Amino acid sequence: MTEHSMALDAPAARRSPRHPAIRALAVAAAVALAYWLPSWLGGSPLTYGFFVTLAIFSVMAVGVDIVLSYLGEVSLGHTIFWAIGGYSAAILSTSWDANGWITAATAVGLAVLAAAFLGWATLKTREFVFSLATYAAAVVAGEIAFNTDALGGSDGIVGIPALRLPLGFAEFSGRSNQELWPLALLLLVLSIYFVDRFRRSRLGTEALMVQMNPPLAIASGLDIRKVRFRVFVVSAPITALAGWLYGYQRAYVGPDMFDMYFLTLMLTAVIVVGRRVLLGPLIGVALILLQQNYFSIGGDGNKVVLGAVLAFVLIVWPQGLAGLARRIWRARAQPRS
Amino acid sequence: MNVAQQLVNGLVIGSGFACVALGWTILLGAARLVNFAHGQMYMLAAFICWFALTRWGLDFTAAAVVAVLAMGVLGILMQSAMSQLVVSQNLTSLMIVTLGFGYMIQGAAGLGFGGSPHALASPADKVQYQIGGIWFTGQDLIIVTVTLALYAGVWLLLNRTRQGAMVRAIAEDPKLAQIFGINTWLVYVAVFMLEAVLVAIAAVLVAPKTPILTSMGFEEVIMTFVVVVLGGVGNVGGALVAGLALGIFTAFFGALVSPAYTTAASFAVLLAFLTLRPEGFSFR
Amino acid sequence: MNVLDAADLTVRYGGSVALRDATLAVGAGRLVAVAGANGAGKSTLVNACAGWSRGHASIAGDVRLDGRSVARLAAYRRARLGIQCVPEGKNVFGELTVEENFALVPAVPREAGRHVFSREDVLGLFPRLHERRTHKGSALSGGERQMLAIGRALLAGPRILLLDEPSVGLAPRLIFDVLTVVRRLVDDGLAVLLVEQNVSAALDVADELYLIERGRIVGHGDAAAMRQDERIAQAYLGGLAEVEP
Repeated sequence: MTEHSMALDAPAARRSPRHPAIRALAVAAAVALAYWLPSWLGGSPLTYGFFVTLAIFSVMAVGVDIVLSYLGEVSLGHTIFWAIGGYSAAILSTSWDANGWITAATAVGLAVLAAAFLGWATLKTREFVFSLATYAAAVVAGEIAFNTDALGGSDGIVGIPALRLPLGFAEFSGRSNQELWPLALLLLVLSIYFVDRFRRSRLGTEALMVQMNPPLAIASGLDIRKVRFRVFVVSAPITALAGWLYGYQRAYVGPDMFDMYFLTLMLTAVIVVGRRVLLGPLIGVALILLQQNYFSIGGDGNKVVLGAVLAFVLIVWPQGLAGLARRIWRARAQPRS
Repeated sequence: MNVAQQLVNGLVIGSGFACVALGWTILLGAARLVNFAHGQMYMLAAFICWFALTRWGLDFTAAAVVAVLAMGVLGILMQSAMSQLVVSQNLTSLMIVTLGFGYMIQGAAGLGFGGSPHALASPADKVQYQIGGIWFTGQDLIIVTVTLALYAGVWLLLNRTRQGAMVRAIAEDPKLAQIFGINTWLVYVAVFMLEAVLVAIAAVLVAPKTPILTSMGFEEVIMTFVVVVLGGVGNVGGALVAGLALGIFTAFFGALVSPAYTTAASFAVLLAFLTLRPEGFSFR
Repeated sequence: MNVLDAADLTVRYGGSVALRDATLAVGAGRLVAVAGANGAGKSTLVNACAGWSRGHASIAGDVRLDGRSVARLAAYRRARLGIQCVPEGKNVFGELTVEENFALVPAVPREAGRHVFSREDVLGLFPRLHERRTHKGSALSGGERQMLAIGRALLAGPRILLLDEPSVGLAPRLIFDVLTVVRRLVDDGLAVLLVEQNVSAALDVADELYLIERGRIVGHGDAAAMRQDERIAQAYLGGLAEVEP
């Protein structure tokens, strides 16, 4: 099916907003449910680890989702922002004993700067040139991290202290996955809330217009380059914050944050469920992590699975699981109508 | 620094870049298809050659032929899997699909060949020549001559044969080509097979110069990208010139500044080009 | 037996129907014209016979070539069987020279019903192309491009030639030239389906004419009879009658 008809499907499939109070209640219930889920599932450190990683990777994928779903471009450079988050947490906390607020603010600031530079440099590029330029930027950034001693070189930075977030009256500390879980969940909820606001915001609608119908966008006075630049910059700090928390969770940051694994994971998570699905990145990451944690066939085997899923979904169900579900729903609804 | 020696080194490195980029250039020009699996295909070809050489005991030439043939078959399979997307020219999806293929190849190679580095030993690499104080190996000589021969051959194929005219016709207007009685699907398959074969040839030529790892291939993609953009997208002659120029730049940068950051420097050149000369790749 | 039979052709673009239940036939040595207003579905009809479309068209109905159904064959297969279509607009490769455009044509199998033209025959019909043989398609004038498009269709050994508005953008003198060449080919036994905006010129050379309105065939008859048809006279010949030499 063409991109165009996909665009027509998306708004129709979006559920009509119910009463705001009911909706807020449902969301609150879902979040509360999610909060208690790890402890109901046994509450072992392994379970908490799984859930924290799930939340972190989902937030990471949300950054790519914004660019891929609403701009229609494939950014292969988001591992840069991911790594910026991790390295900010690592360097500032180990060398300057900085608390979590400072490291997070630095991560966000640097990610915005990096995205602004990369966005500016690729302003005139589109489609594959944009993708390749961002891809090349990521590989080169990884190479620089690998070769620069101030960034820990090939060994990376070990011994990141536990996350501390002074709250005035108390202090949040994340010494274990169990302690990190509320923060990871909060970050996830906030990022999903952000996407929900974003797609109804002016920038969100403008981005969609630029993607679907560039001539119309120009005719209605939009500066396409400006819209593309802004969306790209907006998406970066989300992925950076995920990388920031990942640094604290692992207590180690190294050039492996530029690994193809994260890039493939982000893209697959979005593609598997389908573009422009609010919870798409979360569900996608959950499916992938379930396979890798509970049905793993070894590191290299998992690579084959992840790559195959990515290719297979795009070839067979270009609209992902959500598109497939819509098709099945329609096919079942048809005989009755 | 020996300037003449660095120039020769640059020429050899640049021929390697140009050789690795050749298949991609044709693919991009003809099918508008960006193959992100390019680097992993390079890696796989090197490993198949290594496997045939060390495990089957073939001599280097025979092992190289095995690698090239195997990659040709893989190319046909990959294109067949993607054919629907290629014919409908769904470029964004294609890009991601090839990324997935690349990741699959990397994983499969890890399963098949393990994670440790190996040396792909070419006998020509041990033959050394010295002319007027400039050193080079037999492998260097082969890289330069085969690259030039391949470029000449591809240029003739594209510009002097009916098959080449078909490729250019499809690059211009695949729909119209159908009216002309051309099976566009078959041409896409042939072009992708050519890409796979050419990258395999490049791998057996260039890979003996460095240790091979299943995790390699990313730098090759970036260098190829720089070569293709600087040379003009889909421009075969331009790619050769850009490849040689980039090779000489890399050789001097490595000698004067730091060999660790040559990819970064090439990328900086590319970024400068992207921001300063945007009309260089208005791509249909 | 007719060379080309189209039965109940329906063409949809997305949700909208561009052609509905069109049935038409072209016999050997007949020049059949299709007339209608802009957007009536003339091009859609011709392209559907060739199994071809610039957009995403879904085509239903049957197309028979010398009695054999080709409806399930892809456009390139139909072209190789001898349904030679010259579409409107871009119909030659601009990046290829005249010679290369000709060289793309696959070898014509020796079988009954195909009209075989050698390169010399084609260059004899369109001597201009001989002078321009090393020029790129994009360097040709509109008339030369039209000659090249028709020439390469002839080289491919047509059973039937589908010409979609070959006269668009041509000077009156050239229109006359092109249509005269087409008529000569028909007199030699070739079947031609011609879409022509200039209905008066079409009626001068055609044997039959189909009238198409809003995606439906609404009239069909011999050229002489159709010239008297009220709808044709009013809509297409009224203004043009005085211009005619």
